[in-house]
Amino acid sequence: MEKHLDKLPSFVEAIKSIKETIIANIVFIGQIPAPTFKEKRRTDFFMERLSEFQVDECTTDGYGNPIGIIRGTSTSKPPVFVVAHVDTVFEKDIDHNYTVKKRTIKGAGILDNSLSVGVLASLPEIFRKLDLRFESDIVLAGVIQSLGEGNLRGIRHLLKTWDTPIRGAICLEGIELGRLNYYSEGMIRCEVECDIPTTLKQIQKFRPNAILILNEVINQILELRLPQRPRSEVIIGKISGGFKHGTIAYNAKLGFEIQSDLDKMVKSIYNDISDIIDDIRHQYEVELKLKTISNLNAASLKYNHPLVKSTGAIIESLGLKPVSGPSESELSIFLAHKIPAVTLGITRGENIHLENSIMEIEPMYKGIAQIIGAIMAIDKGVCDE
Amino acid sequence: MNNNWLKKNTFHHSEFKDIDRLVEEKKRKKIKISLCLPTLNEEKTIAKEIIIMKSELMSRFQLLDEIVVIDSGSTDRTMEIASSYGADVYQADDILPKLKKFKGKGENLWKALYITTGDIIVYLDADIKNIHHRFVYALVGPLLLFDNIKYCKGFYDRPIVTGKKKMRPTGGGRVTELVIRPLFSLFFPELTQILQPLSGEYAGYRELFERIPFPIGYGIETSIILDTYEKWGLDVIAQVDLERRVHRNQDTKSLGKMSFVILKIFCKRLEKLGIAELKTDFFNEMIQYKLGKNGYKPDIYKDKGSERPPIIEIPEYREKFNI
Repeated sequence: MEKHLDKLPSFVEAIKSIKETIIANIVFIGQIPAPTFKEKRRTDFFMERLSEFQVDECTTDGYGNPIGIIRGTSTSKPPVFVVAHVDTVFEKDIDHNYTVKKRTIKGAGILDNSLSVGVLASLPEIFRKLDLRFESDIVLAGVIQSLGEGNLRGIRHLLKTWDTPIRGAICLEGIELGRLNYYSEGMIRCEVECDIPTTLKQIQKFRPNAILILNEVINQILELRLPQRPRSEVIIGKISGGFKHGTIAYNAKLGFEIQSDLDKMVKSIYNDISDIIDDIRHQYEVELKLKTISNLNAASLKYNHPLVKSTGAIIESLGLKPVSGPSESELSIFLAHKIPAVTLGITRGENIHLENSIMEIEPMYKGIAQIIGAIMAIDKGVCDE
Repeated sequence: MNNNWLKKNTFHHSEFKDIDRLVEEKKRKKIKISLCLPTLNEEKTIAKEIIIMKSELMSRFQLLDEIVVIDSGSTDRTMEIASSYGADVYQADDILPKLKKFKGKGENLWKALYITTGDIIVYLDADIKNIHHRFVYALVGPLLLFDNIKYCKGFYDRPIVTGKKKMRPTGGGRVTELVIRPLFSLFFPELTQILQPLSGEYAGYRELFERIPFPIGYGIETSIILDTYEKWGLDVIAQVDLERRVHRNQDTKSLGKMSFVILKIFCKRLEKLGIAELKTDFFNEMIQYKLGKNGYKPDIYKDKGSERPPIIEIPEYREKFNI
């Protein structure tokens, strides 16, 4: 273990020496719009790139997830997965042309998750540069339909149909360098939609207002008494509605997530909110629907799991401080399949979900070195114990 | 008008995507290829152009031998950024310092002939937002694969980025359609087959560029076409569809200045070729008006129409290239 930790700082300079290739991949991939459910152009390019970098096998699974496999030296060791979701929150009519400067790259979707996909596509070249061979096959998987209503469909399908054991997995996210996620909380993501029927026979003045109805929903959610153990939270994340300043809103939408360490608690809070919605619907005689967009079960590796311990040591060997926390990404699906996995962040940045999202270039080289370190650790057997 | 040239000498970039073949041909011909990026305050786009060309056409395929940035005196961080990504960066004024100094794109391109070492020189504008390595390999392709082609120009769709960051498609450039195409139609109908004569992306053999004069400013693209046509005919020219180029939009006043310079160059060439005779000298000022607090005020742009001679006539150049 210590031996390969010693090598990591020297990897940083070697990785930096092919910065043009890495940045070119990030830019080429990031400039192709890939809103959830419309990732085809980006996945095609990702595949083309892997094939140009002479990855042993390039294919897509039955669902359309692009996959590259670098064959290992052993025929008996299960593969190591490195994954990054290819979709972003930006529609295709947004300007996706990136601006590269001396220390930064700016553009829509760069941090979530074009940087990670660009790095994933660069790994074959980086392995060549570092003269690395692995015992396990390395599976480089871009996964589609991850965000929002995508509900991690890509990774769910990939793991459901992958019929041989998987040794361990690393999930890539653009930020924050130093993050070490090894558990995910239980989660239900919901939307409440309020519609005021236009045929309602009330005088215009006294018609219910969809925004105020949702305001009532929010107030009642905030009155719920949530336990501190297991840690539980309702995050009100999105709201939209109405048409113009002087007209009563007859449509409004609210998006929220229920999160908890315990799946049972998530379900219980969901039931409470469902009761609130029923009550308000009845009281105001409006159409008020609660819809579940996605859900995840709580799953975790132990803090002293060898993968967590060794990844923490890898991050520290690069002069960084590991920061742990939950992640509701591809990680949770790996953990639900009992596959040891961690999520790592590649660099630092700002404005993650804005069009002017910006990433720092220099920290990225350490971010990539830690990914290599984690692959080496899994390849040496930290997940086999 | 015979439009055979359009059919025969017009290509699509996809015809040259087999870069291995181009590299092979380059090796067989034992030639070097240089990329020159003329700059003036291009800090937003220069890095991406250098990175992509280095990654794709120097590291992955050895098609390019050097990337040179010639700067006209940027006041932003263009030179620092270009240098940090490994381009050879020069101030135009520092090249051939004994000669009188001029500022302009044509000046940068002319001086690049002295600095670069390639047998083929590719010139790309440095403000391309959607840069891709096809901008280079597709321009070089016809030069490497067809012995008669000595000069190759790019053309493309031209979406521009508007204020709200949304793309808006445009036709040919405004100056092309309102100035150049009418002039070509009047005096050189064959040249109307060149779809975007003002595109800033072109490549050619040194032996061609070194034998023609270079206007120091906007007129460079027009003069290269006219002089090449006059000296070697249309068959040495090719054009390649580069598909899409996203760039900054220029306001009408700037395009007016550009048109002024181009018209001047054009008229000079007409006179030189004996096609027209001007009975009086040109004025050197383009006069536009702007509304200020106290009414309209003239906004004057001066252009003396200076040109550099064919660089092969410069002793320092002859010495450097053993001519």
